[in-house]
Amino acid sequence: MAHKWGLAVDLDRCDGCGACVTACHAENNIPTVGEMQAARGRAMHWIRVERYWEGEFPNVRLKFRPVMCQQCDSAPCEPVCPTYASHHTADGLNAQIYNRCIGTRYCANACPYNVRFFDFFNPAWDKPLQLQLNPDVSVREVGVMEKCTFCSQRILATTIQAKAEKREVKDGEIKPACAQACPAKAIVFGDLNDPESEVSRLAESPRGSKLLEDLGTRPNVNYLQRLTEA
Amino acid sequence: MDRRNFIKLTALTGSATALASCGNPEHTIIRFLPEDELTPGIAEWKPSVCPLCASGCGLTVRVMDTDVEVTREGQAGVTRMAVAKKLEGNPDHPVSRGGLCARGQAGIQVTYHPDRITQPLKRTGNRGEAKYEAVTWDQAIAELATQLDGLATAADQKSLAFVTARRSGRRATLVQQFLAKFGAPAAMAFELFGNDVLRRANGLSFGREQLPTLDLARSRYVLSFGADFLGTWNSPVAHAEAYGAMRQGRPGLRGSFVQIESHMTQTGANADEWVPVFPGTEGVLALGFAHVIVHEKLRPADAAGRAGALIAGWASGLEEYAPDRVSKLTGVTVHRIEEIARHFAELRPSMAFAGGPPLAHTNALFTAVAVNALNALVGNINEPGGIFFTPQVATADTGPSASGAAPSFDKLAAGIVAGQLPVKVLLVDGANPVFATPQAWKVKEAFAKVPFIASFGSFLDETSAQADLILPDHSFLESWVEAAPESGSLVAVMSVAPPAMKPLYQTRAMGDVLLEVGRKLQKPLDLPWQTYEEALKTAIAPLAGGKDIDEDWFAIRKQGGWWGNLSKPAPPVAAASKAPMTFVEPQFDGDVQQFPFHFLPYPSAAFLDGSLAHLPWLQELPDPLTSAMWSSWVEVNPQTAERLGISDRDIVEIASAHGSIQTAAVVSPGLAQNIIAMPVGQGHSMFTRYATGRGANPIAILAPVMEPETGSLAWAATRVKISRVGDPDGRLILFAGAKEEKPNEGLR
Repeated sequence: MAHKWGLAVDLDRCDGCGACVTACHAENNIPTVGEMQAARGRAMHWIRVERYWEGEFPNVRLKFRPVMCQQCDSAPCEPVCPTYASHHTADGLNAQIYNRCIGTRYCANACPYNVRFFDFFNPAWDKPLQLQLNPDVSVREVGVMEKCTFCSQRILATTIQAKAEKREVKDGEIKPACAQACPAKAIVFGDLNDPESEVSRLAESPRGSKLLEDLGTRPNVNYLQRLTEA
Repeated sequence: MDRRNFIKLTALTGSATALASCGNPEHTIIRFLPEDELTPGIAEWKPSVCPLCASGCGLTVRVMDTDVEVTREGQAGVTRMAVAKKLEGNPDHPVSRGGLCARGQAGIQVTYHPDRITQPLKRTGNRGEAKYEAVTWDQAIAELATQLDGLATAADQKSLAFVTARRSGRRATLVQQFLAKFGAPAAMAFELFGNDVLRRANGLSFGREQLPTLDLARSRYVLSFGADFLGTWNSPVAHAEAYGAMRQGRPGLRGSFVQIESHMTQTGANADEWVPVFPGTEGVLALGFAHVIVHEKLRPADAAGRAGALIAGWASGLEEYAPDRVSKLTGVTVHRIEEIARHFAELRPSMAFAGGPPLAHTNALFTAVAVNALNALVGNINEPGGIFFTPQVATADTGPSASGAAPSFDKLAAGIVAGQLPVKVLLVDGANPVFATPQAWKVKEAFAKVPFIASFGSFLDETSAQADLILPDHSFLESWVEAAPESGSLVAVMSVAPPAMKPLYQTRAMGDVLLEVGRKLQKPLDLPWQTYEEALKTAIAPLAGGKDIDEDWFAIRKQGGWWGNLSKPAPPVAAASKAPMTFVEPQFDGDVQQFPFHFLPYPSAAFLDGSLAHLPWLQELPDPLTSAMWSSWVEVNPQTAERLGISDRDIVEIASAHGSIQTAAVVSPGLAQNIIAMPVGQGHSMFTRYATGRGANPIAILAPVMEPETGSLAWAATRVKISRVGDPDGRLILFAGAKEEKPNEGLR
């Protein structure tokens, strides 16, 4: 049976440290845009940790929520793309084909999660920082849209390996960079079509919900609510 | 011109012309043979150790073949090298267990930083001007040896001083032996956010002068006094792993967590109950909890008889610390004190610990000892779900100890400035005291008076720019690397790993340089090792206890360290003894009328004490609480801001009795009206292209107030005033929230 990749993020484990953010930069060759462009809202973080303040001092609370592409089943980014750069794969991902992208940015306008990032410039790394680049991930040029891929390079490498060994991909064998780095093990990746997988089990949790579910986007990221009482 | 040269010249000009016509004149055609054994396109995974903080997390380095521009014997060219591509947590390591924090992830940029020092440098300009000329290693080592010989000839070996960040393990041993055999005082460890008060308190309370290991995973009730244990304090990756398990790792049982602090940290944001408290009164709050527990007879029966001297005199009920008095002192309601105390005693296993600002006041030792006693009262020490101490590898083979203890860093600086401590040669390894000390300590002035300074630094920062000679260390990925974690694991650990890749530049491992200098002296020092690796192997390989030391060493270096049960762990230090257990009011520098606000600098999530501000990934990492990038800021309570007419992003001036700084304001509900908080890390006057001249440094204006028992800086004991000085000017950059007013201005 085909895979259907999904994530579960346990907000009761997440402590907001931001390890996932840097891990994603390292794995996916995301450029740092620098002070000037960051000030214009052009910093690229395929995953970010949102924070929500509630209440006033001294009865104040702060909640964290890591947000990445929700890999929606009914993704608003897909139908608006005139070149099919933004499209749906057989294993349930919202993929972006950089070579097709002509930079209309319709997809970013359509996305309710604000997780698509436009390359306003050609990426540049002060030498020899380019040595850190991951050869498994293409570097995006000026004028294209980029976003979280669920680390499709890792998915691909593992599925090829499993196929060569004539076996199925094991649950937990694939870990996106964010999930791998997370010290608190708050992010779990897996196959939602496999009812035995950890991510399917977590998706059944009564604490579970999806981000902006009422928009009908049918996201594939399950957030498990942070509890407030012992 | 002879024929040979003519042919060479035409070949060169010809190829140069051909290259220029390609439009990429910077591409050289020189291609050296690969020096690594490579399988093209196939990644290898090698162990390493993260040295960016003292936690000693184990790494796995992804290494792949890549074209690298190198210089070989003066000829620039390209070679194929196996280089690090990504750092990941070592899943087998008992401290990090596969996780890795944002700082550790960014560690790879230390190696590939464009402003690394690539070869030994000798000063040509004035101190601090950072004008240097390249010298060879032979020249550099001879220079240092000459300086040391000069001291030896004058029988003035005591005028050698060595400043380092706090490092444990063999690197420290090597330095110690070098200094001892030379006849110099011991090395001085300087860390802004050191934990010396807690170490001293744990020595007094439990006979263990080390940081505690928190068994969060099995705990039901966690009481943290100011410790940012999920962010920057002690062993954050180990804590986060255990924290996740505490919350959701046990079906049907979710541990509770209460944070007591004056300013909300990333850790505090995760608490079930966040309890703001007046700065410096955390210890009395701990005694308030103890009072309730003793008074209501909540103490578990199995805890009796084990706390011993720690709670001597408590049987009478700690009458001075009744909840109503404690409530007045701390600002926590009586109801809340009673409730937390009951939970702490009843929801066991529980634990309490203190760290961060509470231990940076003048009464810090009292606070730490009081929290320790609270643990002992309900029996949380060395119990599952409580506080442990990671067994430490005994360092019995350290040889002679240095002649005389080192003075504390502030005393050293004062002594040099006053001319009482004639330091003639100063060696600096991994510390940046010119940046990370209060201006009132006059460290820069002191350095100016030292005739010769040598640094092992990899970057030009405020301190290494004072050096006459720079002997650049390898990056940790290019070098043998080790750590002896003092906490974070229930079993003993020595992290150690060989170089993950070959050096990119003409750098050398600091340990090897010291050993060579030792051999080159007129009176060689006769150190017991020839190389740094040997120093590591002789101490660490025997831990495995196998028959063949080489086999053991091979296995250890492949695994990235040794961990397990020690046959002979280091013995406890002096047994529990009398410790201060009476609340003393914290002292603050600055008149209350003139300086009405408590100033709370805190280690930033990205840069800690500022030593990581040069890494671009961390500069662009949004701060967990404010989402600020590339900036510094100061947090102000909304009511205070309204009273003073301060809005978000306004430029404000913060002034103490010792200086002033300007930065942008962030109005935040996470602190009381009489507190302002500011992250440490930015404000470097010199620290590579990414950090230089960015933001402001709160350490600069701190008062030189010390915790009296340990002599460490009470960095939370300064009072300041704050005033609005200007409109937002774009210096504060937030990832979330409003964009810049005129986004298209200056667009290229």
